[in-house]
Amino acid sequence: MPHPDLQFIDRGGPLKGVRVVELTKVWAGPYAGKMLAHLGAEVIKIESMSNLDEMRAYGGVDINSAPYFLSINQEILSVQVNMKTAEGLDLVKRMIGEADILIDNIRPGAMERSGLDYESLKSIKPDLIQCSIKMWGTDGPLGYQTGYAPCFAALSGLTALVGHEGETPKGMNIRYGDSTVGACAALACVAALHHRETTGEGQFIDLSAVETMTSLVGDSLFAWSVTGEMPESDGNFHPEMCPHGAYPCQGTDWTSIAVANEEEWLALCKVLEAPALAADPRFATLADRLANRHALDAELGALTRPHDAVALSEKLRNAGVPAFKSMSSIDLCTDGFLWAREAYRMVSDHKAGTRPIIGPSWRMSPDPAQIERGAPLLGEHNAYVYRELLGLQEDEMDDLMARKVID
Amino acid sequence: MTPQTPAALAGLVVIETAERASGEYAGKLLADLGAQVIKVERPGGAPTRAMGPFCNGESALFAYLNTNKKSVVLDLGEPEDRAMLDRLLARAHALLDDHAEAWCESHGLSQTAVAKAHPALVHTVVTPFGQGAPADMQICRPINVINAGGWAYHSPSETPPDKPPLKGSGRFLSDYEAGIDAALCTMASMLRLRRTGQGQFVDISEVEVQLNRIDCVLDRMLAGDVDPSAERTAYDMGGPGTSFACADGHVFLFMTTRQHWKALCELMGDPDWTGDFREDWLEFDCTSPNVARFRENFTGWIARQEKLPITEAAQKAGVAMVPVNTAADLPRHEQFIHREFFQNAEHPVFGKVAYPGACYRMSATPVQVRTPAPALGADQEETLDAAS
Repeated sequence: MPHPDLQFIDRGGPLKGVRVVELTKVWAGPYAGKMLAHLGAEVIKIESMSNLDEMRAYGGVDINSAPYFLSINQEILSVQVNMKTAEGLDLVKRMIGEADILIDNIRPGAMERSGLDYESLKSIKPDLIQCSIKMWGTDGPLGYQTGYAPCFAALSGLTALVGHEGETPKGMNIRYGDSTVGACAALACVAALHHRETTGEGQFIDLSAVETMTSLVGDSLFAWSVTGEMPESDGNFHPEMCPHGAYPCQGTDWTSIAVANEEEWLALCKVLEAPALAADPRFATLADRLANRHALDAELGALTRPHDAVALSEKLRNAGVPAFKSMSSIDLCTDGFLWAREAYRMVSDHKAGTRPIIGPSWRMSPDPAQIERGAPLLGEHNAYVYRELLGLQEDEMDDLMARKVID
Repeated sequence: MTPQTPAALAGLVVIETAERASGEYAGKLLADLGAQVIKVERPGGAPTRAMGPFCNGESALFAYLNTNKKSVVLDLGEPEDRAMLDRLLARAHALLDDHAEAWCESHGLSQTAVAKAHPALVHTVVTPFGQGAPADMQICRPINVINAGGWAYHSPSETPPDKPPLKGSGRFLSDYEAGIDAALCTMASMLRLRRTGQGQFVDISEVEVQLNRIDCVLDRMLAGDVDPSAERTAYDMGGPGTSFACADGHVFLFMTTRQHWKALCELMGDPDWTGDFREDWLEFDCTSPNVARFRENFTGWIARQEKLPITEAAQKAGVAMVPVNTAADLPRHEQFIHREFFQNAEHPVFGKVAYPGACYRMSATPVQVRTPAPALGADQEETLDAAS
């Protein structure tokens, strides 16, 4: 066998030479894998016909071109293993033996039942970093529960802080949560790589999706512990800026405006050609504006209403007032700035040739990780993993396929 | 303050010139993981020291964002202090900044200047739209960023067109999301530094973090699998899932399958109105009128229930209904207590406080608040002496 390092698929990037094996499904787990892959790690996703990532089935199309799956799993390698067979489980363990990091987000208890708990895996790979993502973490009185992103946002304390004033707090959009959980899992894994680099020691990372959402409202919770003042859902209220909100423009558009000081306030009144507003004693100081903010929002809304949202926000910014159009999905998909900056980029696609994806939030220079290949076909990297990584002979692999261990 | 346990980033030194929540939160994540984060503050102190809420004259926000950091005061406009920063950078692994390009340029902290002076340094800069964006766009604040990235327009789900898009929880949600990516990339790049001896420039766009977090919804529109639109509901999933008011607060109900529906009917005692729905309506007859009809009936029932007993019964019955927990609910929640998510500590100015912890429990290197946020310039002598 060649030196293991020579077997990596080298795409450059800061995590070049780091190998990740993942048993992940739906969004949070795969998103963690994606983040690491987009940083240059080699990420191998373990799948099987009998145990597919649901994202391959969403949309009812064929499992190799399901849009949900394609939209997340770029630069991921796919290997098929039937984990319901003892031989399959053994192969999974051999793959883990070649990996630096193992990530899973399968049901609580499932890893343990398969003998893939950290203590057992340590005997295979003593310095393994294993990250398990669960709704409530791996233990505790509620550790057995599973749930969906809007449920863990509600449980976390985040939903209670998001809503129009005086209404039932509806929280962020129902899609919010999973991806952030994945990002935090990736972050913890890289932190653990540093510890291993320093000491040679691996570790188990127990990640709670609920706590991920809680950490996003950490400042509000800490402030409550200090001041005793209970945070509540507060629309677009900001205690230190006023006006601060989204204001209606032409059609169904809105523009967001945040005013922090007198200079910005006067500039806003000037752009809106509203000297009366600037002179109105109800709005003279920040304290006045905060005290009368509902009246102010109404006045401002009437003034912004006739404007084009893009033109108005640009005019405001050029006058020194932070403002930006509230972007719809069509706005985002057609935004020239985002395309030009390569916030969106093209990767290969087995069916269509190419596919646009949402690229990483970062640019690195020099030596960025290449992100060129779209999501894998099921089992696309069987040969790489079984032949090159595990060193199986061709006939051994054929036999495993015939017996549906590779399935 | 607390017993010392091994820290994941022990031995790594990060200089933080960041002055906004996005950069400071990235620094907090690294400091809580054990990096030595030296915060460079302007004379008079970091701007976040002047942001509320305050208690005994000190900012709770600053105390949250700067746990485990050290503080030195440098006037980066003064050549002598600027030279001191270079000496700090010479022995550091990373520089964390979140200023606009013009500021970086005028302080000798542009990408080029830093790469030239410190080739073995990771240089991370977090800005609203990333490097190269027009200067006017870089003045955007968190509410502008969350609107520019699309989450505000689509939050909450089902918001009608005449109601404003929302900023999300608190004041800094988009900053915290960006801080996560900034910390992740800085750590990844520091690993490369340890292995190759080479530094790197890392450019984080706060708006692109917002876009990335919605990848599997927005990318399907980008690729033409589904149509993008001006609809406020474009990210929604449909179905009856939403928050409802109950007797003592709110609950969130999520329902997508006939099993969910059957279990909910049983939980409610099979009231007559449920007979008007097909058993599989959630899967095959989940129309807007049906959702509205369901909510109309359910609202009356749930309004009479108390959030903890009813959600506990729901979980047991297989209904995905959970309490909408408030700040006060969490510290006394059995799971949060079991996992010791909150770290109780004595703060020098505030007295007893509860620090929210990390969402990752790391077996070998637990995250903890070892020292509270520093007083202004608290580490001036020690740090500058070491660098001289």
